[in-house]
Amino acid sequence: MKNLTTSLNENIELIKTELPAEDILVYSFTSADKSLRFAIVYADGVVDKALLGDLAARPLKRLTAPEKGKLALNDIKEALLFPELKEQTETEELKKEILDGNAVLLTDGLKEAVIVGAKLPPSRAVIEPPTDVAVKGPREGFVEDIKINMALLRKRLKTPQLLFEMQKVGKQSETNVAVCYLKGIADEEAKDAIVEKLKKIDTDVIVDSSYIATFLAPRKRSVFRQSGTTEKPDILAAKMAEGRIGILVDGSPIALTTPYLLTEDFQSSEDYFVSPFWATITRVMRVIAVLVAILLPAFYVSSQLFKLQLLPLSLTLTIASSIQGLPLSPSLEMFLVLFVLEVLKEASVRMPKYVGMALSVVGALVLGETAVSAGFVSTPAIIIVAFSGICLYTVPNFTETGSILRWLFLIVAGSIGPFGIVLTAAFVLYYLISSDAFGVPMLAPFAPLVKEDLKDSLVKFNMERLDKRPTLFKPKNRTRLQSKDGKKTKKGETENGSK
Amino acid sequence: MGANKLALAGGSVGNTLGKNLGAKDEKGVIGTRQLCFFVAFLLPVSKLLETPSVLAYYAKGDLLFPAICQQLLQALAIGLFLFLSARTDKSFFELIESGLGRIAAKIIYIALAVYFVFYSLLPLLEFERFVYTAFFDAAPTFSAFLPFFLMSAYVCTKGLKAFARSADLAMPLFIVSFVGLMVMSVGESDFSAVLPLFGTPISSSFKGFLRSMIHFSDSALLLPMLGAYRYKKGDGKKVMGSYALGSFFVLFFLVVFYGLFGPLSPIMTFAFDKTAQYFKALNTVGRIDLMLAYTMTILLIFYYCLPLQLGVICFSRAVETNKKIPVAAALNLALLLFTAYFAKFYTRIYNFVTYYSFWVFPVFAYLLPLFALFLVLKNRGKRMNGGGMSESDKKTARKEDGYATC
Repeated sequence: MKNLTTSLNENIELIKTELPAEDILVYSFTSADKSLRFAIVYADGVVDKALLGDLAARPLKRLTAPEKGKLALNDIKEALLFPELKEQTETEELKKEILDGNAVLLTDGLKEAVIVGAKLPPSRAVIEPPTDVAVKGPREGFVEDIKINMALLRKRLKTPQLLFEMQKVGKQSETNVAVCYLKGIADEEAKDAIVEKLKKIDTDVIVDSSYIATFLAPRKRSVFRQSGTTEKPDILAAKMAEGRIGILVDGSPIALTTPYLLTEDFQSSEDYFVSPFWATITRVMRVIAVLVAILLPAFYVSSQLFKLQLLPLSLTLTIASSIQGLPLSPSLEMFLVLFVLEVLKEASVRMPKYVGMALSVVGALVLGETAVSAGFVSTPAIIIVAFSGICLYTVPNFTETGSILRWLFLIVAGSIGPFGIVLTAAFVLYYLISSDAFGVPMLAPFAPLVKEDLKDSLVKFNMERLDKRPTLFKPKNRTRLQSKDGKKTKKGETENGSK
Repeated sequence: MGANKLALAGGSVGNTLGKNLGAKDEKGVIGTRQLCFFVAFLLPVSKLLETPSVLAYYAKGDLLFPAICQQLLQALAIGLFLFLSARTDKSFFELIESGLGRIAAKIIYIALAVYFVFYSLLPLLEFERFVYTAFFDAAPTFSAFLPFFLMSAYVCTKGLKAFARSADLAMPLFIVSFVGLMVMSVGESDFSAVLPLFGTPISSSFKGFLRSMIHFSDSALLLPMLGAYRYKKGDGKKVMGSYALGSFFVLFFLVVFYGLFGPLSPIMTFAFDKTAQYFKALNTVGRIDLMLAYTMTILLIFYYCLPLQLGVICFSRAVETNKKIPVAAALNLALLLFTAYFAKFYTRIYNFVTYYSFWVFPVFAYLLPLFALFLVLKNRGKRMNGGGMSESDKKTARKEDGYATC
């Protein structure tokens, strides 16, 4: 570990040797009377140069050498108009600060450098996230800058209980990761467990929060997500207020929340801005839609191959007439159509917007219409796959898992019919009931049944009835809603939980 | 209160506790509610397949009488289990160990494991036949049933906590499918067919009682749960009430079944998927009743996996291993081969189990719990004479009393 010396040239040389990259710039200048020499070292593009010029270089230019004695570090710090200033002598630390986006001020004659917090990494504006659009409710979304994301969260939770525990993860990327929680509400044991897991991550680069999610997952090979995700600060704030722990990752607009329950996927932020009746109806509708999306193609195939009784007679006759002369078996036909759907979906996400229109025409008309008229596939198969595809998108966070399950059910339905579907359903259910994440069962509050937490699961009670935080997250303070006169809640508990 | 609720939800404290105890014991992992759901919604499903036709055949139509007798007898066994749970916090293994020594405990646990496998043989063959009739228009190859053993092997690697949660899940699945099927069936059922009650000779009823013994020997399943379930004040009423509800479901189904099929009942094996087929609306909408029957099949799968799961737990405990995967794989492979070979000899197996080996079931379902009672009373005697739990054991027991990590 090397320390700075009193020679400015030597210090610049030292840092340039450590950071030889072209984007590490050195701006050398002198005071107006030429008595003092300074150098600012910074990484180009991530520092606010205008601010650095106005609040650092300009005041320093006006500085003059003291008549008696040497220039002290305090004189420089007083001249600088920055709120974030730090002293440092070790080059290793200075290197980290420069790479992190801060500027380092070196002064001839002083062996201490001043770290100037003038970080301004490229960032986009706070906009509505495309994956989490709400008709009603807040529209702000997280961006890639962790500082902005922390500010967005702080804007909603103006409480000293909101704490951030910062970690650097990734040997090469040194990505900032913030574990955020509400002290006194979140389970600190779970928070500590997360921080411990973060410390144990030994990888080169963390480019997105999904990397962190993978490392935190208790079951690494699960097809189900094991941490919640959100792009909206209002959702993160609400989840943290329930006792969950948030994880913000620098460079990612997606925040993680843990512990995660499967029911979360079927909830939307809008459910809290509409009537509880409507929220319940839409939640149940989402569950049905996902079940239809996963099981409908499988049941269609198995009914044709193994159990015709599953279909009404008139429908059976209609299907029989439409599949007459098809060269493919029902399972192969469904496979093909589903494969086309997945390819179209994948292509429409990747390809330029302008080509998208053409793709829709090709996909819908050419592939769909022509394939039917050419006798490759039947109309019912296309209708079923299209409906299944639409249904799955009612729960955007479940699309990956839903797609995998749809394929799985289709394979078993084509192989052993409805019994395969039932067996796989039983397997998936048993898998889910035996899965825990940070001590919280994934299928809760249904298995195990936690009666109190059912109030905001598939059904959504009125806000006034949601007076307690979910027990599943082990909140220290369970009372969420209290009458204004400080009266005891209906179970006789005061706000701090005492009786 | 909050802490207890938390533990009920499967809190980390409970998890740690479970891990420390490993495969040996899962103290307090089964909650009262889960035991109630088990006896109310999981036990009845096994009686919906062949039991009604067996009872109708042997009891000559008066199928309610032997069923009520069986349910009452089983209620006594469940009551005994609750009594044992209230008197001891030890597992069945620890109970035998403290009374008869470690070797005896291991032998009894291996015998219990063998019993659970034996107990599964006939139901597995029944289930296989049910699957062929309910899920396929034409008889499929045997390979269609093979994946069941994959599922079963997976379940066998899980502990009692997973079983307890499956009981929670059983409640909505059972209610939706049973109520749905019964609503569709009741209108077509002629309830007078079961009259007059107790109208057949007692010998027929006794035969029905004897031959259906295998279908009503579930109480043995509770023995390995001793210690995993902690009795609390008032649990007796809750569990017995739930059992009464489960019994009501069974008896109601028997009445509807006989009311629908009448004299044809003895040959209507595995007919629970056919009870609703006469519902008029099905002509228009198709056999949506099959969806309910399939939902019930999920519970049947859970139920049929349970004895095998308990077999693995008992065997692992006896040989003191935490490695359940090889045990589960070996057991399920053996059962797969058995089912593959003996599927053709169903009648012979049926006769062997119900005519010659029927005595095995009461031994394990009723005599073994009585034996456990004897051990508990013996232990109490010892304790009163200065033996029993040490102070630290008592402390641990008191501490664990709050956990019900489901």
